[in-house]
Amino acid sequence: MKNRKFLNVAALCLFALLIAISGGCKKKVPVAPPEEPPPPAPPPKPTATLSASPTTIQKGKSSTLTWSTTNATNVSINQGIGDVSTSGSRSVSPSSSTTYTLTAKGEGGSITASARVTVTAPPAPPPKPKKREPTIEEMFTKKVKDIYFDYDKSEIRDDARATLAAASEFLKKYPQVSFTIEGHCDERGSGEYNLGLGDRRANSALSHLTSMGISSSRVKTISYGKERPQCTESNESCWQKNRRAHFVLSR
Amino acid sequence: MTKFLAPACLLSMTFLGGPLPASAQETDSQVRVVVTEGVRARVAVADIQQRGSDPELDRHTRLFDDVLWNDLRRAGVFELVPKTFYPLQLPSQPYEVNYEEWTAEDVKAQNLVYGNSYMQRGQFVVEARLIDVNTRESIIGNRYRVDPDEEGVRSLAHRLADEIVLRIGGGVRGVASTRIAFVSDRNGHKEIFTMDYDGYGQKALTNHRSISLTPRWSLDNSRIAYTSYHRGNPDLYFRTVYDQRLIPFSHRGGLTTTPAFAPDGERIAFSSSKSRDPEIYVSDLRGRDLRRLTRARGVDISPVWNPKSGRQIAFVSGRSGSPQIWIMDEDGSNLRRLINEGGEAVSPSWSPDGVHLAFSWRRRLTGRFDIYLLDVVSGRFTQLTRDGNNNEHPVWSPDSRHIAYESNRFGSRQVFIMLADGTQKEQLTRQGRNTSPAWSNYFQQ
Repeated sequence: MKNRKFLNVAALCLFALLIAISGGCKKKVPVAPPEEPPPPAPPPKPTATLSASPTTIQKGKSSTLTWSTTNATNVSINQGIGDVSTSGSRSVSPSSSTTYTLTAKGEGGSITASARVTVTAPPAPPPKPKKREPTIEEMFTKKVKDIYFDYDKSEIRDDARATLAAASEFLKKYPQVSFTIEGHCDERGSGEYNLGLGDRRANSALSHLTSMGISSSRVKTISYGKERPQCTESNESCWQKNRRAHFVLSR
Repeated sequence: MTKFLAPACLLSMTFLGGPLPASAQETDSQVRVVVTEGVRARVAVADIQQRGSDPELDRHTRLFDDVLWNDLRRAGVFELVPKTFYPLQLPSQPYEVNYEEWTAEDVKAQNLVYGNSYMQRGQFVVEARLIDVNTRESIIGNRYRVDPDEEGVRSLAHRLADEIVLRIGGGVRGVASTRIAFVSDRNGHKEIFTMDYDGYGQKALTNHRSISLTPRWSLDNSRIAYTSYHRGNPDLYFRTVYDQRLIPFSHRGGLTTTPAFAPDGERIAFSSSKSRDPEIYVSDLRGRDLRRLTRARGVDISPVWNPKSGRQIAFVSGRSGSPQIWIMDEDGSNLRRLINEGGEAVSPSWSPDGVHLAFSWRRRLTGRFDIYLLDVVSGRFTQLTRDGNNNEHPVWSPDSRHIAYESNRFGSRQVFIMLADGTQKEQLTRQGRNTSPAWSNYFQQ
């Protein structure tokens, strides 16, 4: 019981005190009406940055877009990239200069950020080996190959027939080409006899070519006997390399 | 080349008086032939006694003694008495010869060479004598004088040696004054070189910086014919030996090589491939009056004339397969194969006396080349080399007693000489590779 009394007394006093305080003001204001609850704080606006590095690329090369946003719930980049995460990076390689625009949407609105990637023409293509025609010399070397002989022989071997057939094909295609046939021998036997043998080898090759329709007026023959070996060891493998007819384009 | 000729021009020779006939050129009837077949004269060669103490005189005299001794040794027709057996007092003049000492048991000389030397008016002079110790006859008494350089002194000793060989060595002049042409690559290209017969004085005759091959001396030694590539094609040229002029022989196309001067001095045989097969031709020295002697499929090359008859040509032909030596008359008739065995027979060289054909022969394909002699009349062979490596390209000296050839018996190919019986082999070249020797004829005395 006693508490209830005390509460009543306290309420009275607080009331009187309120009056006393308000009576002390310069102006006598009416007692404010009971206020409405304040509106909730507005949601923050989103922010966004977008950058490209490098900002200039050669065509065909790529640049990296890097972005970050705040307060965004939906982030997208145009130019066909579409939705992306709220921050991140990705590589792009536009074929021409392009401005990328990032749109960040959030409860606080939406915002855009842009970055431009400038695409330059690629450097002059490295003088790419022009597909030039092989020279006559190159073709001659490739198509008109040495033929080889047996020891002390100037007869055309079967393997040489195929070689000469390929040569004559080329020589028919290029009738302006004239050339020398050199006859060579291995180191064995007299230098003098080998001069003669080399001469026969060169003429044997010539006569085979003329039988395939190559005019002998395009051809000069020369014997080097054993004077110009291309291999100088004393064994059969080397000797065989030296028993040959060698073809040289005339200039 | 003038350098080569100079000593010969400046060298004068006078015959000393006394018991010698004064005639400059002895006739055969006056030649005393001491050597008979198979018997060698025993000859003492006393050092030439110097009259004076000039160091130059000493140097020349020692060189003269040395060259003379080696010439007489190399001649192969004497038995030289070793100098250690000689009396202490060597004669300088006829009155100083003690005949008993030279016929004593350990010396037993049949012949004695002696003399004296001195300098006179800037020239080196040698008075040389050759005597028969048994009959006490004088055979040679000559005074030689020459400009005192090494070539001069050498040529002087060579002349005395050749004279001694002529008088007591079987009636044929020695070859000490002859020369040998050959092919050398010592300067980086194959060039024609010449040298004395003993290897001294090697020098280049050509400087084509190309390939030069197959040298041959003309009959009078005034030219060397050879094949060279220096204008591109292997053509034949003459090079005059004295003034080194170049005379093209032919430019017929193809290969022109292996020249052979005919003994008549007016024609030349050679091989040419102008028909597109190497064949033997004969023409005059200008290439005119050309006649083709062979008409066979295969290499025909390396002709040599029979120097005695001048009417036959031996050559190498591949017509029967491997290279073999064939022979024909100068018009191409009477063709036949000379050696009817197998293998490969090449490089014929006819001895100047017409008796033998030297050639190189590989009897089996796996074997080596060696030098053989064929007795043309009897058809018998003699093998002259057998050192296990290749011995090739024999050529005769003009006295038919020596053969020059190429051999790689010590590694690289070099020019050697030997006696025609296969003894006294001697290497003449050492620098670079040296091949294809060609022995000159006698030079005019």
